[in-house]
Amino acid sequence: VVVNGKWKAIPFGNIGQLMNWRTDWFKQAGYEKFPDTWDELLEAGIKLKKAGHPFGFELGHGFGDNHGWLYPLLWSYGGREVEADGKTIVIDSDETARAIDYCRRLYKETMVEDCLGWTDINNNKAFLSEQISCTNNAESILWSAKKDFPDMAKVIDQSQNPQGPKGRFHMLNPLCHSIFTHTQDQKAAKDFLRWVMKPEQAGAWYDVAVTYYQPFLHRYDDAPMWKVEPRNLPYRDALKTAHLPGWPAPLSRAQSETIAKFVVIDMFAKACAGKSTREVIADAKTQLKQIYRQA
Amino acid sequence: MTAVLAPAEGRRRPAFSFGRWLEREGVFSWLMVGPPIAFMVALVGYPFFYGIWLSLQNRPVAKAGEFIGLDNFINAWHDPVFRLVVINTIVYTLAATLLKMVGGLGLALVMNQNFRFRNLTRALLLLPFIVPTVLSTIAWQWILDPAFSVINWALLHTGLANPGPSWLGNPYLAMFSLIMVNTWRGLPFYAITLLAGLQTISPELYEAATIDGASTWQRFRYVTLPLLKPVIFIVTMFSVIFTFADFQLIYVLTRGGPANATHVFATYAFDIAMGAGQFGQGAAIALSMVPPLALIILAMAIYMRPSKS
Repeated sequence: VVVNGKWKAIPFGNIGQLMNWRTDWFKQAGYEKFPDTWDELLEAGIKLKKAGHPFGFELGHGFGDNHGWLYPLLWSYGGREVEADGKTIVIDSDETARAIDYCRRLYKETMVEDCLGWTDINNNKAFLSEQISCTNNAESILWSAKKDFPDMAKVIDQSQNPQGPKGRFHMLNPLCHSIFTHTQDQKAAKDFLRWVMKPEQAGAWYDVAVTYYQPFLHRYDDAPMWKVEPRNLPYRDALKTAHLPGWPAPLSRAQSETIAKFVVIDMFAKACAGKSTREVIADAKTQLKQIYRQA
Repeated sequence: MTAVLAPAEGRRRPAFSFGRWLEREGVFSWLMVGPPIAFMVALVGYPFFYGIWLSLQNRPVAKAGEFIGLDNFINAWHDPVFRLVVINTIVYTLAATLLKMVGGLGLALVMNQNFRFRNLTRALLLLPFIVPTVLSTIAWQWILDPAFSVINWALLHTGLANPGPSWLGNPYLAMFSLIMVNTWRGLPFYAITLLAGLQTISPELYEAATIDGASTWQRFRYVTLPLLKPVIFIVTMFSVIFTFADFQLIYVLTRGGPANATHVFATYAFDIAMGAGQFGQGAAIALSMVPPLALIILAMAIYMRPSKS
């Protein structure tokens, strides 16, 4: 990661967020493959909820599972918070409104009511206790199912996010290594990072985590760890369409403040809780204006 | 008298004695008051005034502050979430305090009766107050959990509801659940304090009232309540302050969700200051608690002032 011509961190891996779904229940509803578009997902969800297998996507103040699908949803309808210049606020658009209208329908017609109050653990719990048939999560659901509920693990699959009118998107959650400026022995720390990022060491590290950290370098695209669990392969391929929150603007302090204040998350959540699309966009715009003016 | 003092007069002024100097009232009293004052200044005064200073700055984390006057307060006023936070805090405080007051008074009256295992019951009553809030709240998290809620399990198996209500997912139910949990936690504080107050009321007053033909309700209305008023005032004041500034319970159960429906001053200030790294804005939000709190306490002090007549 280079900021203003200076190395700030070495990207290590991404913790991807994908669709986790129950193949057996989807099959009963007539779906052999995971729906390819958001509209098809809505259709499938309506059928599955009728069959007693609702969806459950986090809409609360968690850390990852809410951002993991709401930002990609916004982007795939063409909505965004700010322009690439990092200044012009463009949240108030027809594209955003369409994404919100879609989200409200998805929530009302396919999900359990509780999603609004969920944090990152709730969708895992609901999925593993067979209350929901689909959610957006990292690899942890399949992993713990294989450990504790082997029968259920056989009927879980993971797929890329559906696409919207403007394409398919994913969330980038990168983990990086960096060195504190107050580290006394800078050279030793840098040497250590150089050593640890060599394929022998980093590769072994990726291997023990079995693809939970998806490497950014193509060198690892065919690493043995991808053969351990073929159902994890979509995490590798999703990296191509993954962006940081705030995209297409560059990372900034204002950007992280937007995340910490849950501006985008709450915009969707408030709409699901019953507020009008116009109102929630106006609220988000007010908040973004305040955040970006001070940046 | 002079005869007794005479020898002392003849002596020269005694050499300075540190021990005696310490025992002089002016010195000794300051010595006793000093540590608590230093304590208050260091742990209450300094953070408070530093907070005021912060609230007047644009002060993001890891950056120098910049003085901007009252801009943070003006921004907060125009922030849609802040307005919701104000309403939430008022609803939460009023409802929980009222429930605690009525429930606590009832409990105290019951505990003041004679019955078997009275002392054991009194001790058990304190449990919700003794258990660290975060721990008991995690227990409540399971009780209200969508997938494993024992309440919903019971509702399901008695055929009353299928599926059970979403205790923390529905914006109104979430506020309701928080008020209930807060009441559960705060009741013992009310009950025990009011019980102590009840025990100071002389039984003779009740006897006199009974002889005058007062009914149970009249004895409560004209003997118990007036004499308990000062205690009720103190305990309500504490409770309002605690509830208004509540953080742990809400942060563990909902983190201010769903869609900010349960965000209160403390949780929102924390999210802004610690989460978003905007110390100035966070301090401004936290400090906005002070004027309404002061007003509430002032109003209560005037209303509850024991009548001298």
